[in-house]
Amino acid sequence: MFGAFRITSPLNGGLLWKTPWRLSKFQKYRQRQRLRAVDSVVATVDRALAKKGDTVESLERWKAEMPTEQEMLPKDKYTIFARYEKRYRKSIHKLPKWTRVSQRLNPPGY
Amino acid sequence: MSWFRITLQRSAIGLPQRTRGVLMALGLRRRTQTVFHPVSPQFAGMIMKVKELVKVEEVDQPLTAAQLREERRPDPGFYLEKAARREGGPLAGATEPEGSVRL
Repeated sequence: MFGAFRITSPLNGGLLWKTPWRLSKFQKYRQRQRLRAVDSVVATVDRALAKKGDTVESLERWKAEMPTEQEMLPKDKYTIFARYEKRYRKSIHKLPKWTRVSQRLNPPGY
Repeated sequence: MSWFRITLQRSAIGLPQRTRGVLMALGLRRRTQTVFHPVSPQFAGMIMKVKELVKVEEVDQPLTAAQLREERRPDPGFYLEKAARREGGPLAGATEPEGSVRL
């Protein structure tokens, strides 16, 4: 029970840990930068392998399935599908390790 | 023969053992460490596994550890007009070519 998600009760003398339900504009800016960084890594690897005439299955799958930062809707950049939430969406910062994990796709129609 | 210059930008603390294994396979032990690997499907696949943590550049020649350290060395801010005579040899970076202007 360590870290930002410690269960403490203010009534019992514990501390209050609060996070906002949505991202700030600076967090959104950084999220866009991170998405672009991943896109540039993928592009670099793709370019380097193409010069040798090689390719990798994981690279081809990423290019086929995943949208780039430009192609993504803001809704997909800053929120994720959540089956138990009202309207089936919640903010992406609630996803553990969200700054170090690629989460770009959500079920169609949600 | 081109090389990947791979730098670890984000740490793997709290990430699964598999991801940490990939970083160890690449030789990345600590943040902002840089390694060089030849361009091949094997290393490309490893980079794809940790692409959120890593910064990649394509270069012609790999650098040695000494060269990487030299890259980080800042400008000394001085130069010696006349180095004192010493047994070991001239001080590295102290001597300037004749007629050069240091701004």
